[in-house]
Amino acid sequence: MSPKIELRGISKTYASARTGEDVEALRNVSFDMGAHEFVSIVGPSGCGKSTLLSLVAGFASPSAGEIRVDGVAVAGPDPKRGVVFQDYALFPWRTVRGNIEFGPLARGVNKAERAVITKRYVDMVGLTGFEERYPHELSGGMRQRCALARLLANEPELWLLDEPLAAVDLQTRNILQDELLRIWGDDRAIETRRAVLLVTHGIDEAVYFSDRVIVLGRRPGQIKEIVPIDLPRPRRGRRNSGELGRYVDHIWNLIRDDAAQAIADETT
Amino acid sequence: MRALWRRLGWLLRGGEFVLALAIVVALWHGLSIWVGKATLVPPPLLVARAWIALLGDTLPEDALASLGHLAGGYGFGVTTGFLLAIACTRFATLEAIIDPLIELLRPIGAIAWIPLAILMFGIGTGVPIFLIFYASMFPVFINTLAGIKQVDRRLVQAAQMLGAPRRMIVTHVVLPAALPLVLSGARLSLGVAWASMVAAELTGSDAGLGWRIFWYQEFFAMDRVMAVILTIGVLGYSLDTLLRGLQRALTRWSPDSEAATR
Amino acid sequence: MTQTQRTLLPLLFFTALIAAWEIAMRGFGQAGLVPGPSGIVVAALRTLGDGSLWSATAGSLQRVAIGFAIGAGLGIPLGLVMGMLAPVNRALSPIVDSLRSIAPIAWIPMALLWLGIRGNAALFIVAYAAFFPFVVNTIQAVRLIDRNLTHAARALGAGNWLILRAVVLPSAIPSILTGARISMAFAWGSIIAAELAMGIKVTSGGSAAVGLGQLMVSTLYIRRDVDALVLYMIVIGLISLGIDLLMRRLQRTLTPWRQA
Repeated sequence: MSPKIELRGISKTYASARTGEDVEALRNVSFDMGAHEFVSIVGPSGCGKSTLLSLVAGFASPSAGEIRVDGVAVAGPDPKRGVVFQDYALFPWRTVRGNIEFGPLARGVNKAERAVITKRYVDMVGLTGFEERYPHELSGGMRQRCALARLLANEPELWLLDEPLAAVDLQTRNILQDELLRIWGDDRAIETRRAVLLVTHGIDEAVYFSDRVIVLGRRPGQIKEIVPIDLPRPRRGRRNSGELGRYVDHIWNLIRDDAAQAIADETT
Repeated sequence: MRALWRRLGWLLRGGEFVLALAIVVALWHGLSIWVGKATLVPPPLLVARAWIALLGDTLPEDALASLGHLAGGYGFGVTTGFLLAIACTRFATLEAIIDPLIELLRPIGAIAWIPLAILMFGIGTGVPIFLIFYASMFPVFINTLAGIKQVDRRLVQAAQMLGAPRRMIVTHVVLPAALPLVLSGARLSLGVAWASMVAAELTGSDAGLGWRIFWYQEFFAMDRVMAVILTIGVLGYSLDTLLRGLQRALTRWSPDSEAATR
Repeated sequence: MTQTQRTLLPLLFFTALIAAWEIAMRGFGQAGLVPGPSGIVVAALRTLGDGSLWSATAGSLQRVAIGFAIGAGLGIPLGLVMGMLAPVNRALSPIVDSLRSIAPIAWIPMALLWLGIRGNAALFIVAYAAFFPFVVNTIQAVRLIDRNLTHAARALGAGNWLILRAVVLPSAIPSILTGARISMAFAWGSIIAAELAMGIKVTSGGSAAVGLGQLMVSTLYIRRDVDALVLYMIVIGLISLGIDLLMRRLQRTLTPWRQA
């Protein structure tokens, strides 16, 4: 079975807005993803994780290498590759409903059907009753749910999540993690799940969610290791098993020195 | 009991303004008596009476003429500024030329154009409309340009990711995101437009409230002069309040709309 | 678009425009009836010789300075009072706002009557125009004073006088200076307007104080020198720029801790 997403020899260099010098963000990254896999990318600050995600999304092109989805090279953003941004990027002048139905609207879906689609996803993410609120009236967790529903309303085949839970408090984060797993299909058959590529700082979160964790090293980002997570599903609710902890330790040991170096780099 | 207290509080709060107004009017009256000549400081009562008389006399036609000047100049000026700014965001060469042009023309100010305008259009409607048009173009242009440029790139990316075609991104993302700044530009433009209108009518027109001020001054009818001046103030304030209401209504979704629409 | 392109393009465009303007003007035989680049240069050289422009500009600037000082002297204290005492603010702000929406120049007839044609009328207009930005910005300045800073100062043991000097004033100065910058711009604009109006409306000659505005009017109606008119407009613009640059420099010097 051919992989759904293939990355071959991805490198990315761009000119820093601040200094004008070239910054090598990624170097020779290659990996494959299956159509029903949950893959996380972790690494120290500045290792290029978010850059990698935006390349897969199609917001930028790699300086070298190829990204293929279903065998076709990625040429630009597409509804089949939906994104949840770190700061949600909800349209502030549109209500929750307005945001969620934006994708269908863009595709030309008629009003009645849009209402059906919106209702389905509003209920799915638990925002029933808040459809007419504006983003600035919502809490961080609710905005995140809205961003997720907006993504899902287009029924993308690949979910690209850029640190989606970074801006949320710890308790809400735990709740939302379980919600995400449920919606994704952690407790359903594999075929019902979509491919997910998640970028996060939280190693425990990555292990909790993923089938595989890609560990990137310090800039320029290169793959240090791809760790298969052999924990059984459903995983929801089982955060503190010993095995999970062992995976977390292993990954942390991989990046600990790089992480410390990244902090030192930032302050100089 | 609480409701009564609250109503009393509201009255008291409104009452402060009424009190202050009463004091100002009283001082004004005192001043006019002390000065003695109605042609120097017309007493408030006289002004009020003059104003009522004017309502049935020249005020409506003057107000109409002034509003006509404003509508023409402001309407064209704001539209031109807005469209020009959009064109500049689309064509970098245009922006490279227009931007320095704006920076050079803006310090000159609408007022300095009055003599040239009189030369070009003669005394009449041309001068006020041209001046108002010129003055209102700048704030809207500058604000629209800034508004479009500060649109969060992520919002555009989100729209692309959701499958919106290019035209829809402009109408459904860029313009709504730029709207708050565009509207504050429109309000600033209204302010300068109103002031330019008065100046233009005073010096280069033969109709309108500004022109009428000097017309009554020729007869030393200072009570009527005061009445017209106050009308200018009230009318300007009302127009701004209307625009502010529109601004508030259209930007209700913005988290800082309260502060911005002061 | 590179930076060099960005600077060259407008330069080329404007040079071409000016050249075309000059040629068109000569070609249509409009020199003297329509302003043209060569005519403006000639007018500039002429005024360098005869000094009327300098004395007029000096007169205008003098009145701007005095009016600005009056506006500041009255506006800042009122702004402080209104900013610190909410009932006073509630009482006075509708009145202030209403007066603010009357364009300063509308007061010309009254000002002429009260203060005569010798230039004080123009001064009144300038002071009136300069007054309001100070009030508005000072109120804003007081509002913006971070409560946390005053509490922090008190927690460190500062008394009222020290707090005023070391916390309130420095916090308020940036906004007040912004008010000063706006005020100066208004002042410059309104002196020209006032002098224009006086020049046009006061037909009895012999205004003792002649400013740029009156100079423009006499050039318009008496000398009919269109090139000089455009020259004066350019001068007005240059002075505007100069004033703004000066105020910005002042603001930066007095408040180095502010970014932009």
